Amino acid sequence: MGEVIWVEVLSRHRDVLERRRCEGPQVRIGRSYANDVVIDDPFVAAAHLRVFRDESGSLVAQDLGSANGLFAGHGGTRAERLVLDGEQPIRIGRTYLRIRAAGHAVPAERALPVRVYGGRMVVALAASIVAIETASQWLGDTREFQATRFVLPLLALVLLALAWTGMWSILSRVFTGQARFDRHLLVALAGLAALSVLTDLAGFGAFAFSLPALAIYEYAVIWICVAAACYFHLREMGRSRLPVKALAVGALAVVSIAAQTLVRSEGGASSGRQEYLRDLKPPFLRLVPAQREAAFFGRVEDLKAKLDEARAAAVPADAGSSGQEAEE
Amino acid sequence: MRAAACGLALALACDAALGQAPRPAAPAGTPVLSTTAERVYAAARPRLLQIRTLLQTAGRQSSIGSGFLVSADGLAVTNYHVVSQYVLEPGTYRLEYAAPDGARGALKVLAIDVANDLAAVRLEGTRLAHFDFDGAALKGALPKGERLYAMGNPLDLGFTIVEGTYNGLVERSYNERVHLSGALNPGMSGGPTVTAEGRVAGVNVAKRLGGELVSFLVPARFAAALVARAAAAADFSPEGARAEIERQLSAWQDRFYREILDRGFRDSVFGPYRAPESAAPWFTCWARTNADEIPRPRATLNTTQCTTDTGIFVAGDLQTGGVGIAHSYARSAGLNAFQFAAFVSAQYRVPQGARGNRKRFTREFCHENFYAGAGAAVAPPLRAVWCARAYRDFANLYDVSLVALTQDRDDEALISRLSLQTISYSNALELTRRFLGALRWAK
Repeated sequence: MGEVIWVEVLSRHRDVLERRRCEGPQVRIGRSYANDVVIDDPFVAAAHLRVFRDESGSLVAQDLGSANGLFAGHGGTRAERLVLDGEQPIRIGRTYLRIRAAGHAVPAERALPVRVYGGRMVVALAASIVAIETASQWLGDTREFQATRFVLPLLALVLLALAWTGMWSILSRVFTGQARFDRHLLVALAGLAALSVLTDLAGFGAFAFSLPALAIYEYAVIWICVAAACYFHLREMGRSRLPVKALAVGALAVVSIAAQTLVRSEGGASSGRQEYLRDLKPPFLRLVPAQREAAFFGRVEDLKAKLDEARAAAVPADAGSSGQEAEE
Repeated sequence: MRAAACGLALALACDAALGQAPRPAAPAGTPVLSTTAERVYAAARPRLLQIRTLLQTAGRQSSIGSGFLVSADGLAVTNYHVVSQYVLEPGTYRLEYAAPDGARGALKVLAIDVANDLAAVRLEGTRLAHFDFDGAALKGALPKGERLYAMGNPLDLGFTIVEGTYNGLVERSYNERVHLSGALNPGMSGGPTVTAEGRVAGVNVAKRLGGELVSFLVPARFAAALVARAAAAADFSPEGARAEIERQLSAWQDRFYREILDRGFRDSVFGPYRAPESAAPWFTCWARTNADEIPRPRATLNTTQCTTDTGIFVAGDLQTGGVGIAHSYARSAGLNAFQFAAFVSAQYRVPQGARGNRKRFTREFCHENFYAGAGAAVAPPLRAVWCARAYRDFANLYDVSLVALTQDRDDEALISRLSLQTISYSNALELTRRFLGALRWAK
């Protein structure tokens, strides 16, 4: 009869959940079975919407007197009639729709990407994580060999990676309709690999350059890796609003690092101990020159001012306990 | 360790031990000994005191000790640790004496000697019976084996007299202590130990936990000196007590560490390394090894550890004045370079010194780096951590710890630790500098 009109039901993230081919010139949309497109949304009227071409030839959506109305895009204002451009979704009840004519222009065919990830990548990452973890376990192992000391941490790591990936897949499935386990596994393994490489590097760097802070603040590296992995998981779930997602995981990392720093500094204040580099490496890995006696003891002399300052700061609390009522 | 004025746990432990301890052999038919003790106690009774520290608000005893009169006008001697709660917190505690006849009254602190754990106190009274010091004991000329009688009020059970044997001065102790083979118990601290003639040979101060009848006295001459000072001194003000303790600790550490510096270090050889041990005679050294462990360790570790036993009681939670030097020589037996580094890392720990005690110490500050001694041609490079914490109550006194690890080989290493309690910053700098400078190659 008339032209073909496509009605697409979108997710909140604008992924197409369902696509319905309708014969024009007019399409009726609503919850009742008298419609061309039936929407199972309790907030949609039985006969909610009519789509047709107006005198000027553009596609128009018209509210058929529903209680909840018709809205343009996300948020938007209520309208009786909306001219449709085929890009901007419309909302009825809690359902997002996009309506396109058969003549709607689609982008040109994209060249097939060279496959960089996938199964092989997952295997390579998993193998390198196992290799790194086993190696660092072995290099730190000073006791009699026991297989459990190697196998159990690896098993724990495997379970952790699977649980983490599973969690993201479930979230993905819930919010976008697709689990994408393979992609999430890839992200999780990449994050884990980065984590083990960076923490090992921090340990070696702390020794090689005599920068104890690198080892002491290793947890910052861990949180940054976790946040980065979260970002890429979110990216896999949908590419919309990436800056917001980046900001959210950035905030997560900052808050976690700040909280852990606070815990450590307050723990240090109550124990009174100072952290120092305890994990030493073979001498040949040292990359900085050793401090000369004068320089070393110069720094030691500088500590006196800090100590005396700490003592001075402590005096007022104690001053009240002595004095007064000496005679009895 | 110390016969604390009244530590309940300690008291209970000693009580139980007392029940099982064999009584000193007193063969039948030798009534002479017992008559002597009877005579000594009868003469001493009016001269003995129980010294009680009372919690000001509750009016109940918080700790107890003993004391004895040394002058007709009420001058008495006890241990500093018996009156330390009052001296440090005069607003919270007060002092009281209780005589064997039931008399009670207030006590005033006249002078303290922290290093020797003595205090001179005064009670109101005139023409009181009192002890004299033993002439031979003042000269340190008592013969080993001399029978002595220790008196006091152990565990608040009542005044007692205990026989013991004079065994000379404790060896390897910087602060002089008489070794008495006799049973001192908590609460007898500050009481007199007298000769058969009833003259004071020393002041009960401590006993060794884990030993049997191993007890310690402060030699009489320190008590006599303090009494002379107290008689001449102006009134001791509790407000100035901390400053006085600070002055005494400062003077003590200056003498002690100056002597350690003057006597210098002697070298001990560990594999390819030479390491310093103090040449001063107050160190007790022990060695241990992991070579006999099963399963066979993959690196051998031989440790020698030298410590001084000079514990100075400052407060219930602050006993100080100790020095420790420890060297651990590690040698790989099948560990690769990384594994060996992990193995020695476990030994590379800053000595704890006095436990973290926020009331008495500031937080710790450390400097760490690789260290090249002045003579890099004769000494291996080191990784070293130098840590110090300051005493909150006492200016220019610190606890300092140092640990150093040689950084020249993949399969052999020396880990050296030094801990110095109650030391001035300049003494600490000098000692640690010389200690690090003395870590060298053996040839």
